[in-house]
Amino acid sequence: MLRRSALTVSAIVAGALVLSACTSSTSPDPSASGSVDADASVGIRLALPPGNLDVRQTGGVTLDQILIDNVYEGLVSRTPEGEIVPNLATDFEVSADGLTYTFTLTEGVTFHDGQELTPADVVWSLQTRKDTAEFSDSERLAGVTDITAEGQVITLTLGTPDTSLLWNLTGRAGLIFKKDDKVDYKIAANGTGPFSLGVWKQGDSVTLLRNEDYWGEKAKVAEVAFVIIGDNQAAMNAAAAGEIDIITGFDANMTANIEESGDFSVQVGSATDKSVLAMNPTAGKLADKRVRQAIRMAIDHDSIIAAQASGQTLFGPIPQPDPGYEDLSSVISHDVAGAKALLAEAGAENLELTLTIPSEYGTTLPQILVSDLAEAGINLTVEPVDFGTWITDVYSNKDYELSVVNHAEPRDFENWANPEYYFLYDNPEVQRLYAESLAQTDQAASDALLAEAARLVSEDHAADWLYNWSSVVAVATNVTGVPSDNVNSRLDLAELAKTE
Amino acid sequence: MIKYALQRLGLLVVGLVVASVLIFVTLRVLPGDAAQLIAGTKAPPEQVEALRESLGLNKPLLSQYADWIAGIFRGDLGSSVWTGSPVAEQLIEKAEVTVPLAVMSMVIAMAIALPFGVYSALRRGRADGTALSIGSQVIAAIPVVWAGMMLVVVFAVWLDWLPAQGFPRSGWDDPSRAFLALVLPAITIGAVEGAMLLRFVRSATLSAMGQDYVRTAAAKGLTRRAALIRHGLPSVGLSIISILGLQFAGIVVGAVVIEQLFTLPGIGRMLVTDVAQRDMPKVQGELLAITAIVLIIGFVVDMVHRIIDPRQREAE
Repeated sequence: MLRRSALTVSAIVAGALVLSACTSSTSPDPSASGSVDADASVGIRLALPPGNLDVRQTGGVTLDQILIDNVYEGLVSRTPEGEIVPNLATDFEVSADGLTYTFTLTEGVTFHDGQELTPADVVWSLQTRKDTAEFSDSERLAGVTDITAEGQVITLTLGTPDTSLLWNLTGRAGLIFKKDDKVDYKIAANGTGPFSLGVWKQGDSVTLLRNEDYWGEKAKVAEVAFVIIGDNQAAMNAAAAGEIDIITGFDANMTANIEESGDFSVQVGSATDKSVLAMNPTAGKLADKRVRQAIRMAIDHDSIIAAQASGQTLFGPIPQPDPGYEDLSSVISHDVAGAKALLAEAGAENLELTLTIPSEYGTTLPQILVSDLAEAGINLTVEPVDFGTWITDVYSNKDYELSVVNHAEPRDFENWANPEYYFLYDNPEVQRLYAESLAQTDQAASDALLAEAARLVSEDHAADWLYNWSSVVAVATNVTGVPSDNVNSRLDLAELAKTE
Repeated sequence: MIKYALQRLGLLVVGLVVASVLIFVTLRVLPGDAAQLIAGTKAPPEQVEALRESLGLNKPLLSQYADWIAGIFRGDLGSSVWTGSPVAEQLIEKAEVTVPLAVMSMVIAMAIALPFGVYSALRRGRADGTALSIGSQVIAAIPVVWAGMMLVVVFAVWLDWLPAQGFPRSGWDDPSRAFLALVLPAITIGAVEGAMLLRFVRSATLSAMGQDYVRTAAAKGLTRRAALIRHGLPSVGLSIISILGLQFAGIVVGAVVIEQLFTLPGIGRMLVTDVAQRDMPKVQGELLAITAIVLIIGFVVDMVHRIIDPRQREAE
C-alpha cells in the first residue's frame, strides 16, 4: 500500500513536471567523441530488484538482463536481433534429421574463480538442468535423451526433432556452470562471462567487474552497476545527477525532457513484450466467443499506443521479432457499434466485469480500458493488486475475469498450447500445430505452422493484445555499445564503452 | 522502584509475545507465496511445488511459528527464503541508512518543536503565537509523502542544492555525499514529526505556566518568562521524554515511506521489497526486531522518567 501511494504521488508530480508529452520514434545512436575510458564505471537503472541471483531457478527477466551473457554463458548465444551465434562452442552442427546436435567446446576458458572449463562441466550443467524440476526451463530440455562428451565435442541426442532447442540453449537452459561447484548461487556467482560479480547490495544494486582473464575480447568498462530505481522520475533525477548512465524501461513520454540537456538520447528498438489482456473463458459470459470479440472491438488500440508514446499494435500472440509472426490486424478492428451489436446478440448487455492488474503498471492503461469498454456498455471494475497477489489469484488459482500483465519473454507461444496455463485456452488444433511446428527440421515450415496456430488463437479471441512494447532506453551521450533491441529481456554488455 | 522495573519489563515481554503472534498471523493472511514468485510466470505447477517443498514453505503453520520462536531464543532472527541471508545481517547492513536518518529526523524535530513550542505558549493570544500554533497544526496534518515531494521540487529540482533521491553506492566511505543524501529525507520526516511535537511542547508549557510553583515564583518578583524557564521547563522536559518513545515509532513509520520516495537503501525500503516478494521469514524477523527496538526504547524512556521525576518516585 505504501509503495503504491508513494508511486502514485510521484507519478502526479512527475506529470506536473512534464511540460510537454512528446513522442519520439527516432533512435539516434549515441555518438561519442573522445577516448574510451578503460577504467569507466557505468550505472544502469533497472526497475525491479532481483530477489536472489540464482538464475537456475528464479524467474523474471531482471536476472536474465544482469547475468546472462555478462556473467554466465552458454554454448550458444543470441544477438539482440535474435540470431543464434556460437559462444562457448567454437561452432555447432545440427544433423539433417534434426536429432543430433554437436558442439565443439572452446579451449582455454576459465571460470571467474580460476577453475578451467571442461567438457564434463558442460555435460553436468545441461544434465542437472534437465533433471532438476525446480530449475526454470528444465522442461525445455525434456526432448534431449542423451548428453555426452568426447574430447572437446559435446553431443546432444533427441528422440524427436525440436526446432526450439538451439534457441532454448541460448537462454537459461543452456548456461554452463562448474561441475559440483561450491558456490551459493543465491548470493554469489561463478561463470565464464566477461564480467564477474562484484558486490550485491540486496534490494539496491548489483555491481559487476570486468573479468581480466576473459577468454574472448575483454569488456571495455571496468565496472557496471545495476541500480534499482522503481520510479521513472527518480531514475531521471539519478541520471541528471550523473549517478546512472543508462535507463532501461524508460518512459517514452519523457523523451523530450531527458534529451533537452543534450547529455542523454533515447534509443527505441523492438521488443517481445506483450501486454496481454487475458479473458478467462471459464468465467460467465466470457465463455462466449462473441463477448470476447466485442471486448476486443471496443478497445481503441491506437489510443493505447499514443498514451505510451512507444510500442506498436499487436493482434495476435506472436510479436514481430519472434518466428511465426504474421500481421493479424485483419482479425479485429476498432468498432464500438459492432461491439454493442455482438454483445446484444450474445445477451450480454450491461455486462459487469472485473479487471485484475498489478498496480505497478500504473493507472493510464486501466483508465483507457474502463472508458473504451464503457462505450460498448461494459462496466469494468479495476482491481489493482500487488504482483504477489496477482501471481496467486490469477496465475496459480486462475481466479479472475480479465487480467492485464506484460509477458516480456520471447518465444512464449507454448502458453497458448498449454490448457493448464492461466489463459485456460484449450484448442486441440492449436496444440497439434504447435507440437508439429517444434518437430520440423525446416525452420520455414516450422514458422508457417506457428503462424497458423497464432492465427487460430487470435480468431478465437482467446485474449486481446493491448500492445507490443518497444525497448526504450535512455543512454548518456558518452556511452556507446548499448543494444537497442530486446533490451527488456536481455542486456549483453560486451560492447559497452564510456568516453572520458 | 525495582518492583516497578520488573512490572514494566513483564509488560515488555508480554508485548513482544503478542507482537510475534500478530506479525506471524497477519503475514499469513496476505495472498501469495515466495515459491510462486521465485518460479515466476513461466513455471509449471510441478516446478513451484518442488520449490515450495525444498524451501520448507509446506510445513504446518504452527511448526513454522515454533521454529521461528525457537530460533529467536537461540539468537537467530531467521533468514530470507530468497537468499538464505540472515535477517540480522541484512538489518545491520541497511541500518547504515535508517539509523542516521532516524537520528537526523529526531534532531530536526526537536530543533523545531522545543523553541517554537515554548515560544508559541509564551505568546498565547498574540498574533505570532496563534500563527505558530495554527501553522504547526497544518504541517502536522500534511502527509509525509507530499511534504517530501514538495521539498524535492523546491530544493532538488528548482534550487539544485541537494540530491533528489538515492544514496551513494560507496555508502559512508564518502561521508559528505552520504550525509547530503539524507538531508532532504530527514527534513521531510523531521518537519512533520516536529510539528506534531510542537503542539505537545506548547500544551506542556502552558500547563507548566499554570502550576502553583511557577505562579509563586512569579509572585516573588520573577518575570513570567524567567519563572517559567527556571521552574517550569524541567517539568516540560519530563513530559517530552515520556512521549519520545511514541515519537520514535512515528519516525520509523515515516522512514518506511520516505525511503521508498527517496530510493534510499534502508530498512524501510527493504521491508517493502520483502513484503512484495512474500519473504515472510525475513519480514517477520525484521518487524519483530523493529517492534522490540520501539518497545525497548519505550521501556528505557519510562525508566529514565521514573528516575529523574521525583513526583513519580514519591507516588510509590
